Amino acid sequence: MLALKSSVIDLRQSEKKTLIGFFCLYLTLCIVILIFISFVYYKFQKDFMLSQKRIDLQNYSNEFIIKLKQLHINFDKNQLYPRDNRFKTAIYDSDKKMIFSTLQSNKIQLDNIVYTSNNKIHFIKEPESYYLGARYVIMEINDDLVWLSNTQKQIIFFSIGGLIFMLIVGYFLLRLFLKPMRDAMHLLDRFIKDTTHELNTPISAIVANIEMININELDEKLARKIKRIDIGAKTVSNIYEDLTYLTLNNKIMSQNEKLNVSQVIHQRVEYFNTLAAVKKIKFTLNVQNEIYVVMDVKKLSKLLDNLISNAIKYNKVGGFIQIVLKEKYLCIEDSGKGIKKEQLALLYDRYSRFDKTVGGFGIGLNIVSMICKEYDLDINIESKVNSGTKVELQWS
Amino acid sequence: MSVKLSIAIIILFNTLTYASVYEKNCITCHKKIPVSIDKYFYRYLLKYSSEVEVKKAIKNYLQNPTQEKTVMAEAFINRFGIKKKSKLSTNDLDSAINDYWQKYKIFGKLQ
Repeated sequence: MLALKSSVIDLRQSEKKTLIGFFCLYLTLCIVILIFISFVYYKFQKDFMLSQKRIDLQNYSNEFIIKLKQLHINFDKNQLYPRDNRFKTAIYDSDKKMIFSTLQSNKIQLDNIVYTSNNKIHFIKEPESYYLGARYVIMEINDDLVWLSNTQKQIIFFSIGGLIFMLIVGYFLLRLFLKPMRDAMHLLDRFIKDTTHELNTPISAIVANIEMININELDEKLARKIKRIDIGAKTVSNIYEDLTYLTLNNKIMSQNEKLNVSQVIHQRVEYFNTLAAVKKIKFTLNVQNEIYVVMDVKKLSKLLDNLISNAIKYNKVGGFIQIVLKEKYLCIEDSGKGIKKEQLALLYDRYSRFDKTVGGFGIGLNIVSMICKEYDLDINIESKVNSGTKVELQWS
Repeated sequence: MSVKLSIAIIILFNTLTYASVYEKNCITCHKKIPVSIDKYFYRYLLKYSSEVEVKKAIKNYLQNPTQEKTVMAEAFINRFGIKKKSKLSTNDLDSAINDYWQKYKIFGKLQ
């Protein structure tokens, strides 16, 4: 059993898919580029800030080293580590072992020269002589983070601007890249519209005139010929209606009304009787009277026509079609070739046909699925190869 | 009188017996020079910085003293000359240098 999946395939569906795919890829790429540029800009701003602070730190370190030298000379008399309100300091020996520290951030990078550490700026100075064994003198000042907040504002502003600009460029690129596809689709659309329009008048004329002929008055040979013409005209008419539905009807608002489904079924069975008679297919109707549904009459007819014409088309000679109609339930079962399990999933796709020995465009079940979706009808298809297919419709 | 002399001899004997290698072999000689022993230490610290490097340099100098290896100023060498090669064993030398480091190291002394 197969539950209906979302299968409405509009002509622009593939366009949408391509568009979404391209958009995601393009957006990801844009974001990656913007992140990279933002990172480079951030690094640049940080380096710029550090290079400015470095001058001050260099001066502080010179002052501090002079004091350290004094302490080194007089260490036997004075052991008070030099301190200053403007900066904090630490001294490390050549084994990178701390001798003394007044630092507030202890994340030290002795291999670096100037860097930020926990909202502090560190500057590493290596004095020429190791006063008190200090190979590394670390100077620390506060990082006011003004540069960071300015950089963040600039990055956010330019990223949003850049993203908008890139999206606009992307939109035009996409249009350019979809143009051949759109042109092809519009051409096909126009062709179908033109063709259907041109077919309307002759088909109507044929069908109307055949209906006017009284077959009972004709001899048997001529009556058979007329019947064949009738079948041919109805087949063309059915295809015409399918194409019209696809190109026009699904874009028009439905005119819903309370319909007697039993009546419509009898009408459609009557309509397809000649077609079924060619293959000696018998209709078995188990149709309850007075079953109503609120639908557009054209759409209900189209739904039934497609299901019945499929049941005829794929049926064997001398087979049967059973139609069951109950409250909120319709079932059309045939004794045809059946559909393979793996093909069931693709059943509602437009232009998918599994049996090319019979005519058709492969749009019938696509239309059925569109109508079911519009009216919230549950459709289930069960099929057994060489045994038959059962289409069940349920509604609430 | 003889009791006092005996006590003095005993104290001197004990001091010499239980004094460390550093005290017996370093302090005693350096006392004779007008430059106190800590000045050498700060000179080593100024040039070699870390504990490992300072100890290595002192040991290297004591085992084979030369003018090139000295950390002292030229005027000092001109006046006092280069010391003689140490006759201490490596273990004694290490022990003396360790004591020297412990006594004058900067770690834990800064306020």
